Amino acid sequence: MFEAKVFINQREGGEYYLLGLRVSENLAKKFLPGQFLKIRVSSTLDPLFPRPFTIHAIEGSKLYLLYRVVGKGTQILSKILPEEELKILGPLGKPFPEIKEPYIICAGGAGIAGFGYLLQKTSHLPLKIFYGVRTKEELVRVNFYEKFHVSLTLVTEDGSYGTKGLVTEALEEELENKFKKYKPCLLACGPLPMLKSVLKVAKKYQLKTFLVLETFLACGTGFCRGCVIPLRKGGYTHLCIEGPTFLAEELDLERVFS
Amino acid sequence: MKEFFLNLGNLKLNTPLMLSSGTWGWGENLSKFLSLAEIKYSIGALVTKGVSLEPKEGNPPPRIAETPCGLINSIGLENPGIKEFKAKYLPPIKLYEIPVIVNLFGEKIEDFVGLAEELKEEVSGIELNISCPNVEKGGILFSDNPKLVKDLVREVRKIWNSFLAVKLSPVGPVFEVAKSCERAESDALVVANTYPALTVLSFKPLKILKGGLSGPAIKPLTLRLVWELSQRVGLPIIGCGGIITGKDALEYLICGAKAVQIGTANLINPKSVAEIMEELEKLLKTYGLSY
Ligand SMILES: Cc1cc2nc3c(=O)[nH]c(=O)nc-3n(C[C@H](O)[C@H](O)[C@H](O)COP(=O)(O)OP(=O)(O)OC[C@H]3O[C@@H](n4cnc5c(N)ncnc54)[C@H](O)[C@@H]3O)c2cc1C
Ligand SMILES: Cc1cc2nc3c(=O)[nH]c(=O)nc-3n(C[C@H](O)[C@H](O)[C@H](O)COP(=O)(O)O)c2cc1C
Ligand code: FES
Repeated sequence: MFEAKVFINQREGGEYYLLGLRVSENLAKKFLPGQFLKIRVSSTLDPLFPRPFTIHAIEGSKLYLLYRVVGKGTQILSKILPEEELKILGPLGKPFPEIKEPYIICAGGAGIAGFGYLLQKTSHLPLKIFYGVRTKEELVRVNFYEKFHVSLTLVTEDGSYGTKGLVTEALEEELENKFKKYKPCLLACGPLPMLKSVLKVAKKYQLKTFLVLETFLACGTGFCRGCVIPLRKGGYTHLCIEGPTFLAEELDLERVFS
Repeated sequence: MKEFFLNLGNLKLNTPLMLSSGTWGWGENLSKFLSLAEIKYSIGALVTKGVSLEPKEGNPPPRIAETPCGLINSIGLENPGIKEFKAKYLPPIKLYEIPVIVNLFGEKIEDFVGLAEELKEEVSGIELNISCPNVEKGGILFSDNPKLVKDLVREVRKIWNSFLAVKLSPVGPVFEVAKSCERAESDALVVANTYPALTVLSFKPLKILKGGLSGPAIKPLTLRLVWELSQRVGLPIIGCGGIITGKDALEYLICGAKAVQIGTANLINPKSVAEIMEELEKLLKTYGLSY
């Protein structure tokens, strides 16, 4: 594991925080969009396992992560102050696949995090980004995303900002109206119910879809074989070494969502 | 570096630390996280993930869950089967030039014998995982029946001359099973495997995970077993349970273990074994001890 110095750890809105870590430039260069790192949030034995987070952005030797506080580990992380040191391990996992076709990004909640670094690095920008949350306060880092001049549709479930409804409803409307002929790929990251709806839309328009999945990880290094995702052809793949991004048609979706 | 030689039957170790079964994958990613120098300096032996005669795809998810200071796993012994293991996984592991011990599990005594046959001349040793059900005896765990364990070790011993260890379950008639291993001429005991445990994952719908508990939560329990067994059984003991630091390793060595295995710590930090070795050496110096 490497030592990384925290230089920022600030609440962005809702339960979302932006964490900035200073590492060696050499290490920063090794990360590709879609890859993740593990952070040991405390030197005590509980929580025992470092928590995984996708790279949200990189500037020189500065790594940015965008995380949502959901439990014990992220709670502890949110209390860490600038100048403190954290132990990290990465890069882990496979980067986002290289998508040649036009594509649309669909993100729910913290699922938006990893696409920041994709926008920073890619020479093939998405056609559109759909970003949905429950309510206005949870829309975070919008200024950052706007910098890339990609059409960004903001969706809130309660209608407190942007389009009212579910992010997948906005996606469907867009496809219905404009994209029928283009047949873009979808790249989606968010909670399981959202991904399930994305697949429904994808099925309707027969769109190739990549899903960024999450599961509890113990090792993140392929050591424990705990992070299995069922495959359509039978057997399993391991999220931490073969993922977290998978081509939906290769997965046994019924079991993934059960 | 201090020179360390330990003879356990036919097995010679250069450090008292081993990587325990199932906690370093199949070795394919080991050198991504540890340099060759770190591997040689800190690891005395590599104990592979459990191998069976036929391939097993393992249990459906969820397979793992964190509990306070511990991990519950129900991997279901995912493995490629002995043939593919020998052809594809074993050769790169041997390249580290560290003794390789293959962890074996079967449903009946002949399975273990068949596995040992396959590995003759191939590896430095075998470790018998007896925390598995015996299909010929109505599914009773080998580890629940000292007589069954004695028969098992005797049968395997007939065809296996090099290092043979039995990995005890920490529950059941542990002391009687240990005695059986001694009588059947096992070379060492690995004390111990994970503890049967359960955690509730969600209330509605009710989801639970049953599996084996490992990590710091079990250390005091297994340490006590090592202490008691080392007083009652003549076989060398390899301690295994919750070792995260050099201090933990030293506690085991002082409480009667001749060597130790590191498991869950590898999952927290793949460099754990190197850090544990470094700390262990410092502590030995501080206290004027030697192993
Ligand atoms: C490869 C990968 C990349 C990830 N990247 C990010 C990221 O960039 N930003 C981010 O915010 N999160 C990310 N996550 C999720 C993050 O790792 C978890 O939210 C975190 O580990 C939870 O730790 P905890 O100790 O706070 O919660 P725990 O105490 O472990 O869990 C508390 C409760 O929260 C629930 N929970 C756990 N994970 C989630 C989740 N993802 N969403 C909602 N509820 C959850 C649990 O079921 C439990 O009920 C990623 C996960 C993976 C596998
Ligand atoms: C993910 C995982 C997989 C394991 N797989 C095996 C196995 O295949 N065979 C075996 O005998 N023990 C297996 N074990 C048990 C460990 O080798 C070790 O005995 C146990 O975890 C206690 O040590 P620890 O607390 O240091 O992890 C496994 C443990 C874990 C956490
Ligand atoms: S989390 Fe351990 S193998 Fe993926």
